[in-house]
Amino acid sequence: MLDWIKNINKEYPEFWKDYLTKLEAKPNKFVVLSTETSGLNPNKDVILSLGAFSVIDDSIIIKENFEAVLLQYKFLEEHGISNEFIIESKMTKMPEPEAMEAFINFIGNAVLVGHHINFDIEMLNAALERLDCGRLKNEALDIDVMYRKLTDINDKQFSLNDLCEIYKIPKSDRNSSAEDAYKIGLLFLKLKSRLGIK
Amino acid sequence: MNTIAEHIADFLKEYPPFDNLTFQELSDIATNIRVINLEKHAVLFQNNDPLHDSFYVVASGVINLTTIADAEETIINKCHEGDIFGLRPFFAKNNYMMTAKAREESIIYAIPIAVFRPFVANNSDVLNFLLESFAVNSRHTRDNSRSSAKLDPDSNFIDQQSEMQYIQSLSYNNSPLTTESHHIVKDVAILMTESMVDNIVICEKNNPIGIVTHADLSSKIATGRYPITETIDKIMSSPVVTVIENVSLAEAQLLMLKHNVSHLCVTKDGTSKSSVKGIISEHDLIVAQASNPGVLIKEIKRSQLPKDLKQIRDRLSDLIQNSIQKNIPISHVSNIASEINLAIIKRAVELSILDLGSPPARFAWLSIGSQGRKEQLLLTDQDSILIFEDVAPEKYREVKDYFLRLAKRTTAILEKVGYEYCPNGHMGSNMLWCKSLSDWTKQYNSWMNTPGENSNDLSSIFFDYEIVIGEPKIEEVIENVVFKNAVNNTLFFDFLGNDALKRNSPLSFFKKFIVEEEGPHKGKFDIKTRALMPLIDSARLLILSANIKGIKNTYLRFKQLAITDSKNAEIYLSCAEAFLTLSKFRTVEGLKNDDSGQYINLREMSKTDKEKLKNALTPMKDLEELIKSKFQLTQFS
Repeated sequence: MLDWIKNINKEYPEFWKDYLTKLEAKPNKFVVLSTETSGLNPNKDVILSLGAFSVIDDSIIIKENFEAVLLQYKFLEEHGISNEFIIESKMTKMPEPEAMEAFINFIGNAVLVGHHINFDIEMLNAALERLDCGRLKNEALDIDVMYRKLTDINDKQFSLNDLCEIYKIPKSDRNSSAEDAYKIGLLFLKLKSRLGIK
Repeated sequence: MNTIAEHIADFLKEYPPFDNLTFQELSDIATNIRVINLEKHAVLFQNNDPLHDSFYVVASGVINLTTIADAEETIINKCHEGDIFGLRPFFAKNNYMMTAKAREESIIYAIPIAVFRPFVANNSDVLNFLLESFAVNSRHTRDNSRSSAKLDPDSNFIDQQSEMQYIQSLSYNNSPLTTESHHIVKDVAILMTESMVDNIVICEKNNPIGIVTHADLSSKIATGRYPITETIDKIMSSPVVTVIENVSLAEAQLLMLKHNVSHLCVTKDGTSKSSVKGIISEHDLIVAQASNPGVLIKEIKRSQLPKDLKQIRDRLSDLIQNSIQKNIPISHVSNIASEINLAIIKRAVELSILDLGSPPARFAWLSIGSQGRKEQLLLTDQDSILIFEDVAPEKYREVKDYFLRLAKRTTAILEKVGYEYCPNGHMGSNMLWCKSLSDWTKQYNSWMNTPGENSNDLSSIFFDYEIVIGEPKIEEVIENVVFKNAVNNTLFFDFLGNDALKRNSPLSFFKKFIVEEEGPHKGKFDIKTRALMPLIDSARLLILSANIKGIKNTYLRFKQLAITDSKNAEIYLSCAEAFLTLSKFRTVEGLKNDDSGQYINLREMSKTDKEKLKNALTPMKDLEELIKSKFQLTQFS
């Protein structure tokens, strides 16, 4: 119950301290993100890949992206899953601690945007906890919530595919977290202008 | 590694000028792109805005480029997927000269000029493309599959456009006959006859001093006023009206009227003190004015591939749009458009025949529905039937098989051109509508004598037909069947009459437009089913009952009815006018949205336009009453 007391004098890693100082400024951009995970339990499952883009001035900046496959050897081994598909891919690969550090540096104080972002944040928090960091403190927006707010629907959730269909965003055959992040980005731009969010 | 950048590079490489770059270069460009979403009607930049640091590629949606001239917004161009626009920052320093506005929700890639400039400098193909695009407002990329030959059709295209605006330079005879003043009239006349021209320029040291035309010869020689042994300078008209080389059609026309002459002499500097370059005759003006649709039809006849036809159809859309903006009467426009449509369909059938070999029997390909009425201005769906002559029973199967294949191929070509398949399957490629002549005769007999009985598929569009290609006699036979059956056929007219009147009325009791209550077109006015179809159906019904053959067009039908049934002439004439007005509204709406124009967005209309539309709907009430009393429909309706 008094967990926070334990943390009071805890020494954070350097990048986390930087992150905390960045948070003091006002956010000037959005970061759309998507995670690919091994399952739905933040305590047991791990992030397999991360994809993210910056959104500044109502446009997605392709150059400011973050894309990484996390090397979860331990997890895969424990569950007897082959890791060949990771080794074969041309994607940037990083072990979890390195990836988290790079990702935290990437997002800075930006407002996070995602689809069912609470879950993404839970997964990220779990990974951060393993590195002795605190929890993410960025503001966060969920495009599903935004859409329901726009249309005044409260009794239903919309999957990313549903939303893409509604806004006629072409589906691609390739599926990756970067791909999802890009789609979320497009949806975010559309919803943002409709809701009049600055 | 940036997967999305690679996807974007994949997209770009399909379109010029990016197809000239390597994939690696494209990935580098794509990495620096910004992706922008524009809501419907959002403005990306407008006239006189300072230049952006990027140019744009449409990723999805449609962007309209417009300018404002004479307080009127004119669309210069519609940019579709893969088109580039906003190139001004490459070539000029002053502000934007046009407005870019999203016609529908669009996604756009913004490519920074600084990133792209090195590729332009190093690659002349890219530079040329950008220059060309800039010059014609990036009109280019319409036809995605266009490759090396891209410049030719485009330059042609520029002609097409400006031709409509009368600023095209004329093509004329640039090696005119010349002679000198001391020659004898008879020799000159022989020379003219041999060269088969009606004019000759009389020169002095290559400078024109006079002209002799057929008119001079008939008025001065044939009348006996001068002997044919006279020297030519005695009978020439002098001085000559001279013009500079790049005279426009409009200017040439004005000069001829002003000076009351039939020929203009083209000289190097436009005065009579320089050498002769050519001669413009009235005939040249006529050719220039008429060449527009003529050229299109000629090109249709020459084209070999569906995509050539598609390009021509696209140009037709521009022609229609221009004509409507110029307030050319819509009946003229639709005449021209239907001739061109007809030529396209005909060519499509010919291309299929070229592929399949010559047909085993005589046949007729009939367009039905709107094209049969010659009212197709927009790309709507294709409706057609195929009739082939009766053959021996043992050959029937084989023959029918051939024609089905022919029709399938043709409809597929037309689909590529942009005419959608008929959702109800009213096409020659359908087993039901590809039959022998005697089967068709039976079909019409049963439709007309027992309407409504086991013939749910009776659609009134079958009574508007126009032969496209094949044996005209076959069409005649069908026409005779229809009119023979129509005489005193109360049942049939009852059926058609109720069909015509069953549509919902366009205005509510309080004279408000009745708009769609749900569906994707919620809040819009369905001009096709609520306003145009009742007029079209009524006109067809009345013309069939009056037994008037050969008039297929709704407008002309009303006009003809006004003549034959003169006591109701007023109603018919107002319907004819209303029909034109309504078609115009529909066409304008369709061109604006690139669709069939069926639904009109009332919110976008000005108040005066709304009133005009309402006025066009009023004659329908009278027409309805007229039909009710004429065919005594009260028992049904």
